[in-house]
Amino acid sequence: MANRTLPRLLQTPAVILLLLWMIVPLSMTLYFSFIRYVLNNLRRPEWTKPSIDNWRGFGNYEFVLNNKDFILAIQNSLVIVGSILFLTVILGVLIAVLINKTFPGQGIVRVLLISPFFVMPAVNAVLWINMILDPVLGLQGIAVDGINTWISGLKDAPLVGWFFSLWPTLEPISFRATQTSAIAVIIMVTWQWTPFAVLIFMTSLQSEDQQQKEAAILDGANTWNQFRFLTLPHLGRPIAIVVMIQAIFHLSLYAEIEIVSRGNGNKNLPYLIGEFANNNIGAASATGIFAVILANIVAIFLLRMIGKTLME
Amino acid sequence: MAIVAQSSKYGQIGRTTLAWIVGLLFFFPIFWLVLTSFKTDADAVKPEFLLFFTPTLENYVNMTENYDYWRFARNSVITSVFATVFTLAVGIPCAYAMAFNPARRTKDVLMWMLSTKMLPAAGVLYPMTFLTKNILGIFDTHFLVIIVLSLINMPIVIWMLFTYFKEIPREIIEAGKMDGVNTWGEIREILIPLAWGGIASTALLCFIFCWNEAYWTVRLTTTDAATLSKLIEGNRAPEGLFFGRLSAVSAAAVGPIVVLGWFCQKQLVQGLTFGAVK
Repeated sequence: MANRTLPRLLQTPAVILLLLWMIVPLSMTLYFSFIRYVLNNLRRPEWTKPSIDNWRGFGNYEFVLNNKDFILAIQNSLVIVGSILFLTVILGVLIAVLINKTFPGQGIVRVLLISPFFVMPAVNAVLWINMILDPVLGLQGIAVDGINTWISGLKDAPLVGWFFSLWPTLEPISFRATQTSAIAVIIMVTWQWTPFAVLIFMTSLQSEDQQQKEAAILDGANTWNQFRFLTLPHLGRPIAIVVMIQAIFHLSLYAEIEIVSRGNGNKNLPYLIGEFANNNIGAASATGIFAVILANIVAIFLLRMIGKTLME
Repeated sequence: MAIVAQSSKYGQIGRTTLAWIVGLLFFFPIFWLVLTSFKTDADAVKPEFLLFFTPTLENYVNMTENYDYWRFARNSVITSVFATVFTLAVGIPCAYAMAFNPARRTKDVLMWMLSTKMLPAAGVLYPMTFLTKNILGIFDTHFLVIIVLSLINMPIVIWMLFTYFKEIPREIIEAGKMDGVNTWGEIREILIPLAWGGIASTALLCFIFCWNEAYWTVRLTTTDAATLSKLIEGNRAPEGLFFGRLSAVSAAAVGPIVVLGWFCQKQLVQGLTFGAVK
């Protein structure tokens, strides 16, 4: 086979482009993470230009590690990604199994269900945090208000009035606060990505061995056992793929975090980098290097998980 | 089988109802967005006009007259189309070589490509802005947006194409070689027709991701190449204000891509496997 060179040649453009896309920013980040580099500093104007003279060694890394937001940001990154993965996989499997068999209006339900996946992340966040979750003007606020009015009306009712007068007044939840903004982000991203999981699981279910299933039914296996011992193992591979692709996308979640909390709530790692980058490029770069390390750790786990099946 | 069919009659009704409820729940936020876009800003926050109100086109008229919607929309179409074409033009040969002439390192190369997607964009925003603005002078051009969109999506595209190509029996390609077809001929006349379904759904997914990209497109453009995500960014008023206007802009930004998705959903359902279906 003299044809070893041609395949290499065909891969070259893609490899070179991606290499540049990775190497240029990464080496800049690495360089900046070892020097003092800020955008604004009136007392030390020499720090506003990137220069090797401003060498700081591991100073930026130390600064970041001592920042109270840093560990929180890593925690938030992992909690947000983990929760989204958990929810989308569970919901995805359940919904895919639910709509897999034909029923009246299957086509329409499928279209309705897939729609959130096409929505721009920024619009997704704006829509959820303002029009749905806002504690006063959003649907949540309106609903809580409505229930409270309804219940206070019932307090004067004969016979059952005493029961409702014990009822507490409901308080709407603000999803922009520190403790809750991560929940809002998880809700909106789960809403957007569950359709993706459903799409992939549905395709996979269509290739499920029907004869095997019929044999199981004849043998008297109930629905749960069919699901547990036939469908679920069949979905193993697609689940791994959904987990991997989503992990890649959600580790760099940014727009949703920014729109929901504007920095007041749960920050993830990319958001913290953005915040540093408003002035302290050195610290932002050091955080960026930590983010790369975290991404690699996650990637190694994922590779263990699906690497083998990928090349089969 | 008759027994099974009979016993599940009520099950069938229950399942149908449940499926419809789930479908409508998932669609509800989009419905709500479109509904709100026909309310005035004042009506949009009044509980008494929740469902029954006098619809108005005011927000849409305002959007096209004062916010230059069509320019943003045109930029989104141009950059997404060209980025998708460019990504496929680079991705197809690469995936072809990987699938039919795999080397020892092929898997590592694929994984490395995917790992480039995990780099935190925020960390290099400032250097990238500096580089494109002051050194290369391509800031806020269609060219820059197209290149960036391509690079962001290339790993996923190559991976998807790779998984489709791998399913094609090698013998078919080998047979082409016997007949003296050269590599370009193989790709054009054998591979592309055979993998057409997979290529189409890859292109579709790539287009969707390009259209929805909001980090770089917002930060590497000002006016000339600004896409719809920039329009959203500019209209994100402080909380609770201008719901009507915000909804109209949002609905007009996601409308085209959602409708495109509806038309192509069959393609997506069959095509989105990522090699998960054997």
